[in-house]
Amino acid sequence: MSRAALLPPVLLGLVVLLLAQMVGLAASALWGIPVPGVVLGILVLVLLGMLRPTRAVVRAAEPAATPLLAHLQLLFVPPCVGIILELQTLAENALPLALAVGGSFLVPLIVSGMVLQALLRRQDRRRGAEAPA
Amino acid sequence: MSTLIHLPVFGLVLTLGAYLVAYWLYHRLGRPGVLSPVLVTVAIVATVLELTGLPYAVYLEQVSLLTMLLGPATVALALPLLRNGRALAGSAPAVIAALVAGGVFSIAITVGLLQLFGVGDDVLLAALPRSVTSPVGLSIAEALHASVPLAIVLTMVSGVLGAAFGPALLSLARVRDERARGFAIGLTSHGIGTSRVLAESTVAGGWSSAAMVMNALVMTIVLPIVAALATG
Repeated sequence: MSRAALLPPVLLGLVVLLLAQMVGLAASALWGIPVPGVVLGILVLVLLGMLRPTRAVVRAAEPAATPLLAHLQLLFVPPCVGIILELQTLAENALPLALAVGGSFLVPLIVSGMVLQALLRRQDRRRGAEAPA
Repeated sequence: MSTLIHLPVFGLVLTLGAYLVAYWLYHRLGRPGVLSPVLVTVAIVATVLELTGLPYAVYLEQVSLLTMLLGPATVALALPLLRNGRALAGSAPAVIAALVAGGVFSIAITVGLLQLFGVGDDVLLAALPRSVTSPVGLSIAEALHASVPLAIVLTMVSGVLGAAFGPALLSLARVRDERARGFAIGLTSHGIGTSRVLAESTVAGGWSSAAMVMNALVMTIVLPIVAALATG
């Protein structure tokens, strides 16, 4: 840990993230796993964070991860601007797309919120009943 | 003018400058969900490209730095999941039930409505990753051979809807538990919604980002199967 403290934290964090991404991309390519490499990279990091001996690795990623996640939206501007090439498709299908996006936003929002609230309440009650005893 | 827009730094200056303006505007006006910085930035950049006639492909080359950072930023999504792992694991059955319920309705409504209207397969494929956080949605769209910009824009719209109307809609449905509110918004509106609920409470923000990452992981497996079935 004292050795790591000498390294610039943001760069060290970025290297940790890039290595996790590389492992994920390599695994996806080498073994032909039909899951995107970056998603495997997330799993690699989650695994490292759950195991006690490697937990420090994930902590080292934090100084780079925090600013990246805070401005994640900025990184999507370039792919998003590509919509200027798709405006016609968007306009031709405006109504169905609006209904599909609106509907598949509204219903799952309410359903998952209500389901989770009901189940959590039941769980809290059960735990509350156990605790005083 | 033509030399100016073809300078290799033009795209980066334009994008970062537009983002700073949008960010400032958003905070200045009291964070209205519809003025999400990403939407405003995209509108500014797209308008400038149209006006100057700079081809999209050239712009994309100029901002390759931002595109490169997408990978490590996506991997960093592991951190919010780890941070909230303990609380979520303690309520695993409830969390899984909510995740499945949300996912089933999301896919059923998207596929059902679009097929009802007889929309083409290419549009259907781009609409599928809609509720998945954009970095992962982008990879899924690529894997489905769908239009990536269309998929990302639909994702953004979903996020903006969640940030603008999500909290009010949940209050209408009498969902008052902070954890459930955060989770529902993270599930449907990913990063943009999460940043909105973070302003509400850190508990809701934590559950929101965890829901976003878990949904992304599940959808990575499920969507290719749905795509194969729906487009036959």
